[in-house]
Amino acid sequence: MASSLVTVLRSCSRASRAITTVRFMSNVPEDTVYGGPKPQNPNQRVTLTQLRQKHRKGEPITVVTAYDYPSAVHVDKAGIDVCLVGDSAAMVVHGYDTTLPISLDEMLVHFRAVCRGARRPLLVGDLPFGTYESSSNQFRQPLKITDLPVELFDRDIDFGCLNDAQAVDTAVRVLKEGGMDAIKLEGGSPSRITAAKSIVESGIAVMGHVGLTPQAISVLGGFRPQGKSIASAVKVVETAMALQEAGCFSVVLECVPPPVAAAATSALHIPTIGIGAGPFCSGQVLVYHDLLGMMQHPHHAKVTPKFCKQYAQVGEAINKALLEYKEEVSERLFPDPSHCPYKISSSELDGFLSELQKLGLDKAASAAAASAEKMEHSDSPSSAAIL
Amino acid sequence: MASSLARNCSRFSKAISVRFMSNLPVDTVYGGPKPQNPNQRVTLTHLRQKHRKGEPITVVTAYDYPSAVHLDSAGIDVCLVGDSASMVVHGHDTTLPISLDEMLVHCRAVARGAKRPLLVGDLPFGTYESSASQAVDTAVSVLKEGGMDAIKLEGGSPSRITAARAIVEAGIAVMGHVGLTPQAISVLGGFRPQGKNIASAVKVVETAMALQEAGCFSVVLECVPPPVAAAATSALKIPTIGIGAGPFCSGQVLVYHDLLGMMQHPHHAKVTPKFCKQYAKVGEVINKALMEYKEEVSKKVFPGPSHSPYKITTSELDGFLTELQKLGFDKAASAAASAAENMEPSK
Repeated sequence: MASSLVTVLRSCSRASRAITTVRFMSNVPEDTVYGGPKPQNPNQRVTLTQLRQKHRKGEPITVVTAYDYPSAVHVDKAGIDVCLVGDSAAMVVHGYDTTLPISLDEMLVHFRAVCRGARRPLLVGDLPFGTYESSSNQFRQPLKITDLPVELFDRDIDFGCLNDAQAVDTAVRVLKEGGMDAIKLEGGSPSRITAAKSIVESGIAVMGHVGLTPQAISVLGGFRPQGKSIASAVKVVETAMALQEAGCFSVVLECVPPPVAAAATSALHIPTIGIGAGPFCSGQVLVYHDLLGMMQHPHHAKVTPKFCKQYAQVGEAINKALLEYKEEVSERLFPDPSHCPYKISSSELDGFLSELQKLGLDKAASAAAASAEKMEHSDSPSSAAIL
Repeated sequence: MASSLARNCSRFSKAISVRFMSNLPVDTVYGGPKPQNPNQRVTLTHLRQKHRKGEPITVVTAYDYPSAVHLDSAGIDVCLVGDSASMVVHGHDTTLPISLDEMLVHCRAVARGAKRPLLVGDLPFGTYESSASQAVDTAVSVLKEGGMDAIKLEGGSPSRITAARAIVEAGIAVMGHVGLTPQAISVLGGFRPQGKNIASAVKVVETAMALQEAGCFSVVLECVPPPVAAAATSALKIPTIGIGAGPFCSGQVLVYHDLLGMMQHPHHAKVTPKFCKQYAKVGEVINKALMEYKEEVSKKVFPGPSHSPYKITTSELDGFLTELQKLGFDKAASAAASAAENMEPSK
């Protein structure tokens, strides 16, 4: 479990002020030597410690997804605790029907854009389908002592970690190239638990995810709520606990009945983040586009999840604005004079008209002259115009 | 630039319809005939007709599936997947950093969402300036892998004109772009309006005409004084699409995020271009919604019963409680039991 660094920094003597500030950082180095001391920002990056404090005090943790610079800025400005760059991007940004098609390279583009926009929330990057589930064939069977070279016995090695190279490599890229603070992966099978453990051991904070895991719709048979039977409900609790044991700092519970979520939340000492899991979790997460009602089209309105509340009808606002733009352009009401800021001086204009005539473009010259006059008497955008 | 008449094959029980296509094959053999969609793809022929009738052409940028769907639903003529993505989606200060691979991702997402508008993909900085063959290769990728109908490239220097011609000869429709060309801010010295002196104004008209000569189907005029735009529009027989170029162009284009007022933060409000009208304040709507979500979660108001739809039957619940106790999770069992009671009255 990665712990955040708490350090007291004194500004270097180059800076004119003598400041002593406490900086809470997730993964920013203590001194940014080359850059020099950065101005102390009161809106410091949310850290694991702060999440722990909220959880201890019983204050719900807020999580929203973001996929690009503007949404990251919005999530930051609203004071949301955690910004999750989810593989839900495959559906809401790229228009696929599932979260499966998105690649790591595409997710990295999303990570970087969000990183540029959100300075304050903790940034969690989702590992996309197919980038962390493989294990090395060589070690599919438990290793026999006789397989191993003698030298290895000199060291303590957890051979489980040899299987998780793909998971660790992906997680490393998410932080290194993506600029995220932590990662999230789905599932609670034994290989997922060991993968989570290996990632934590490599120094990367991990958020688990149990219940409905959208990357597994193939075996689940669709986006179906989990934990509705005894066995399934117990599995939710047990896998959440195993993930905690592996070192996760929190666990997402998706689409399970509230009592099951309540049991898991109570059994864990790390926070649970719910989605479609009722009000008894330590925090809540929703998809940006869903909570904003981004898709106004009737077809898309149908696929808004039942557990999601629409806090706005942004899609309708967008549609209205675009229709108005279309109308104004079609009626030649836009651009009106207040949106035509660029001028050409009369002397340059005259020279221009002469040049056009020299080139034999007489029609163009009169068009230019006429338009200049129209811009002069630019009180009302009268009918017509043009060419 | 191809328009063709297709007749449904005999397998199909419905009567004949006329399909106008930009770059779809006449028969989609493997897929079978697709249901005839009254909202057919806008083609170059449609644009030509609008231009001839003096009806302004509407263009808006889009970068992902939802924005593409919005443009489609609003009936916008042309959807431009602009390298402005670099600034509005990726948060860079210029359009320079975005790569072709990143643009292709945007193109594909938009292609999935917009079925009706003509799709134009921008060639990003650095992918077409070296040589005409580099330009053709990039343009081919944009159509092949990006699913676009046409491409746009910036500039009017002789090598750009040659590149445009080569791309048209490869069978790809090209939209030109003169005036302020954001990829050239290095030589321009910033995002500065062009055409304000005689030489520059004449250059705008001449390069637009050269691009027409090379086979472009339209030309974007960016940030030039209205009389200069009027002259170019008059001199050309292909439509001009203006942005910050006054009302005398054949059509207008604006950036999605700018026209919607997407960035509510004061810092970003400052960088909204002067020539852009904000038709909505979406950023403020988003901010308000997110703050309300934050408040409701913090006060444990969300999720309420209406947003907690998943149930567990009493028998399964009892079995679950028993199992929890067997595992030694007594506290968890009582939490589950009281949660079930809590949810009860709302059922």
